[in-house]
Formats: sequence, structure tokens, C-alpha cells
Amino acid sequence: MLLMFALSPFLVLGGGALLLMLAEVFSRRPSGLAIGTTIVFITSGAFSVALWLYGIEFLPVGILSPWILVDKFTLFFNVLLCLGGALASLLAGGYLVEYKLNRGEFYSILLFATFGGMMLASAGDFLTLFLGLETMSLGAYALTAFRRASPRSAEGALKYFLLGSFAAAIMLYGIALVYGATGSTDLARVGAAFSHGVVTSHPMALIGLVLIVIGLLFKVSAVPFHMWTPDAYEGAPTPATAYMAVVVKSAAFAMMLRVLLTSFGDAESMSWSAGWPPALAAIAVLTMTVANLIAGRQDSVKRMLAYSSIAHAGYLLVGVVVALRSKEQAAAGVIFYLATYTVSTIGAFGALILLGSYGKEAVSYDDLAGVGKRHPAIAMAFSLFLFSLAGVPPTAGFFGKWFIFRAAMDSGFYWLTILAFINSVIGAYYYLRVLVFMYMREPQPGAAIAVPMQSRHVKAALLLSAVFVLALGLAPTCTLDAAIAAATTFRM
Amino acid sequence: MNVIGSLYFYVCAAVAIAGAIATVTARNPIRGAVSLLVMVVSIAGLFLALSAEFLAAIQLIVYAGAIVVLFLFVIMILGESSSSVHDKKRIVSRTLAAALLGAVSLGAIVLVVGVSTPLQAPRIRAGFGGIDAIGRALFSDWVVPFELSSALLMVAVLGAVAIAKGDIKRPLESAATTPGSASEEQP
Repeated sequence: MLLMFALSPFLVLGGGALLLMLAEVFSRRPSGLAIGTTIVFITSGAFSVALWLYGIEFLPVGILSPWILVDKFTLFFNVLLCLGGALASLLAGGYLVEYKLNRGEFYSILLFATFGGMMLASAGDFLTLFLGLETMSLGAYALTAFRRASPRSAEGALKYFLLGSFAAAIMLYGIALVYGATGSTDLARVGAAFSHGVVTSHPMALIGLVLIVIGLLFKVSAVPFHMWTPDAYEGAPTPATAYMAVVVKSAAFAMMLRVLLTSFGDAESMSWSAGWPPALAAIAVLTMTVANLIAGRQDSVKRMLAYSSIAHAGYLLVGVVVALRSKEQAAAGVIFYLATYTVSTIGAFGALILLGSYGKEAVSYDDLAGVGKRHPAIAMAFSLFLFSLAGVPPTAGFFGKWFIFRAAMDSGFYWLTILAFINSVIGAYYYLRVLVFMYMREPQPGAAIAVPMQSRHVKAALLLSAVFVLALGLAPTCTLDAAIAAATTFRM
Repeated sequence: MNVIGSLYFYVCAAVAIAGAIATVTARNPIRGAVSLLVMVVSIAGLFLALSAEFLAAIQLIVYAGAIVVLFLFVIMILGESSSSVHDKKRIVSRTLAAALLGAVSLGAIVLVVGVSTPLQAPRIRAGFGGIDAIGRALFSDWVVPFELSSALLMVAVLGAVAIAKGDIKRPLESAATTPGSASEEQP
């Protein structure tokens, strides 16, 4: 029974997805599916919170290990992924109905993809890790291709699918090489083999490490493995874009932290002279700079947000590099940043959704001209989320950046901190540009005007995200303590 | 291994390599697909030599039975247009690039394998690789990943249905494709 309790977040999500598929067949009101999905997500998250409060040390999880590790790291990410999923399904409840795309499969895929994400965050073995990765990615490919009549959607989905499959294959090859060298797929045992110097006797373990890291970087869309991101994000229906930017990215970072800190977390692999941190630091700088420079040149706000999500991956990578000095501090910073990033990003995409309606979608900067006067409430919410993404106090994004930058300073990475800081200033330019258009421009005479949709679902999602953004910005202590507790999983 | 065993191995390996080369070089896609079939079957033969009968059967059923047939279906549906290849542009530079990449990867593999201390093959128990052993392993030691893989299959089926059910005729909002032209295309 306790074992069922330990697995309850997974069981609720999987069972709920199957039930909703049945409900879709018999239901007359398809708009209820969004609410149902949200409830399933919230229930699963609530079970994770209950497990956290019950105490993981009392659970009989030995039989699940190493396939699924039920620790605080897992539970924190379960809650985070369920929060992102719940908000995304609320957005979908408004968007899909408005654009006449309301097919029930969307919600089931959303649930199963999040199931995969939770597998990814909790996997203690390369086998379950890869299964979770594929479950999540296949869901994301299908969500991208969901708007089948749009050529953009098909193009983005095909690029995403092909590149994603190659990345998965490269990663699998890396896993095979590491397995060949160490004789195990268990992350902890691989870590033990690496700390006993398996690299010197079997250099193929090193090639395996490189290939696995490339696969990880692809999934978090770091430069130069980001080519698929703008097209996939632009082509997908906007709730799916928000979902990919938030849930897929968080799960990928959870996987990255777990793999890098557990399997490749020995002194030599993490050293500045012979390990992965310098490569990761270079990629972090490249990711931030390239993404920010390109994001400033976009006409489409949706595409700008896609590049902004790449830039945020760069800041997060800075947080991962800090692991060189302190694994716990690095993990805590990244986890907290992901929490702030989740609520801000979902909110920004939600505001963009709410500003448009069928045939009058808000996409470009010009569509947003004068919105501040016509629809002040939505414009204010949008501004709040953009401030949070830019890292302006007292919003959530400020503390997210603050903890990562401070961790980098504490570890002596002054140059990396300065580069990240310069980049967040560049980033502020294109976020504030949205505000300029909303409050200081008037639409061109005769130009099409985006008309906001009427949807209680989307409004509820915006309200929830706004509350979270302000709560994390004004009182970050509670969440931060949880993030620090989750990071103790990586105590040496 | 006795003489007949080695002979069997070399014949299977040679046929597999010949099939692989024919797959890559075939002009006619049907011929390519059939060469792939030859390769798959000879690899199944190699599995048999390792007394992995179950794997050999699965190889035949899944690859030869399902995947190659799927390829043939796709080629038939796409029709004549897919059957003729006229792409001869920059054939020299492409060949050179392929050769270079191949040489580098081959060199890396040789280097790595050469430097590595040889792996010790674990002693194999009787019945290893049989249906009985695989069934036991799947439902005892590996039951968690085995059950989790059902989520993967589920999401794949769902995704295929979701995309296939999509309406491709309805004119959609054009705003998503071209910025600034929000209300050009009304249904």
C-alpha cells in the first residue's frame, strides 16, 4: 500500500489520462476536458506534496530503485511539472476552443508527456531515463504538429521530430558506450566507476560522456543545438509552445542535473582542467549571447519568446557550471530559477493568447500597439510577466537570477557572472520593447486589430501565474527552502 | 567454434555487409528496401549463431515483417516521383566529405578500442536469451521499466491519432504564419 502511495503521483497522472480519454468519448461538453486535466495535474501535484510531508525516508522505495528514485528532488520537480501542466491545460481550454482545434487527444498527450517528464526527473537509471525522455518528446512532437492545416506547424514539427530523434539516438549511443565501459546503466554505479578512473582504462567512457551531454544540451535547446526551437515554438499552438518552454525544459534540466551530478560528478569529470564544466560554461555564454542578440531582432512576439526561452537556458547553464564548486548550491539555484521561469513564461504566453481571437490573433509587435489603452488589465498582467522574465524586482524572475548569479560569484566565476549580467541587460531591451508598443504606440490606421478572446480558462491561468510571480517575488523563502531541501539529494 | 560455425558466421556477415552496401547505393528505392530485407535476415542468422533464438525471431517479425513492409508501402504510395534519383550535384565534394567523416569516426573508434583494456565477457548461463529467460527477466528484475514503456507506446499511439484526426482542409487563421496580416483570411 505504501508502495502505491510512493508511486501515487505517477498513478494519478497515468490513470487520469486514461479516464479522460474515455470521458472524451462520452462527454457532450468538450470544454470540461480542460478542467478535468487541470484537476488531474493538481491531484498528482498534491500527492507529491503529501509524500514530501509524509517523509520519503519512511517509504519502501527500495524495490523501485534505481529505476525510479523517490527523493525530494523528484518530488519538487513533480510539483513543478504538474503546475506547468495544469496552467498549460487551462490555456489550452481557452485557445483550442477559440481556434476550433478542440480535440480531446491534446489533453491526454499533455498528461502522458508530463508523465514522461516525471519519469525523466525521477530516473536513477539510463534505461528509465531514456524511456521518460522519449515519452515526453513524442508527446511534444505530436503537440507541435497538432494544428495540422498550418504549414508552419508541420514544418516546425518535422524539424523538431527529425532533430529530436537524432539527438536521442546520439544520446543513446553515448549511453551504450558508457554501459560498455562501466558495465552498468545505473546512474550511481556509473558515477562510482567514473570516480574510480574508468576513463583512463576505457577512453570510450569519455566519448560516451560527450555524446550524452550533447543529447542533454539538445533537449534544453542550448546554442548550437537550438535550431529547432524557434520554428517548433512558432508553429505549435500557443498552449503547446508554453508547455514545451516550461515543462519540457524543466524536465530536461532535471535530467541534466541528475546525470551530470550523479554519474559524471566525480572530482576529475568536474574539474576545470579536464572535465565538462569549461565546455558547459562556453556553451552557456554562447547560448545567452546568441539568443539575446537574435531575440532583439524578431518581429513576432511569439518568436521573441522562443529565443528568450533559449536565453534562459543559458542562464540556467551558468547555474549548472557552479556545480564545480558546490553541487548543492548549483542544484538549488537551478531548481529555484526553474520555478520562477515556469510561472513567468506560462503567464507571458497566456497573455499573448488572451490578446488574440480567431482570425485576429496577436502575434507581432504591431498587433500589440495601443493594447495598454484598450485592454489595460491584460496589458498590466503581460507587463508583470515580462518584468519577471527580465528579472526586475519585486517579481519572481529577479530572485531566480539573483540566486544563480550569487552562486556563480561565490564560486569565483566573476567573468561568467558579468557576462550573464550584461546579457540580462540586453534581454531587458526586447522585453521592454513589448511594453513600448503596448503603452506608447497607436495602431496604424487601417491595420488589423487583435481582439481579445473571451475565456475564463485563460483568465484563470493568468491570474494564477500572476499570483505565483508576485508570491515568489515578495516571499521567496518558502520555495527557496524547498529548493535547497531538494538539492540536498546531491550532497556528497 | 568449429569450421562449420565459422563458415556460417562469415557467410552471414558477408551477406549482411553486401545487403547494407546495396541498401545505400541502390538507385531504385524498391531494390534498396529489398536489400535492407536481406541484411536484416542475415543479422537474424547471426543472432541464431549466438543461440539467441528469441532475438532472431523478433528481428524477423519486427524488422523483416513490419518495418520493411512499411517502407515498401510508403514507396508505393509516393509512387514514381520517389523512384528516380537525379541528384548528382557536387557529387565529388559530397563523397569527399562522407569519406572524411567516416575516416574520422573509424579512427576514433579504433583509437578508443585500441587503448581500452579488453572487456571481460561475462559467463553466460544456460538458457540465456531464450523466451523463458527473457520473460522472467522482463517480469521480475525489469518490471518497472517494462511497465513504464507502456506509457511510451500509449503516447505514440495518441500522438499518431491526434495528428491524423486533424482537419487539413479548413482555412486557418493566417496570423500565425505572417506577422501583421491578422485578419486577411476569414473563413
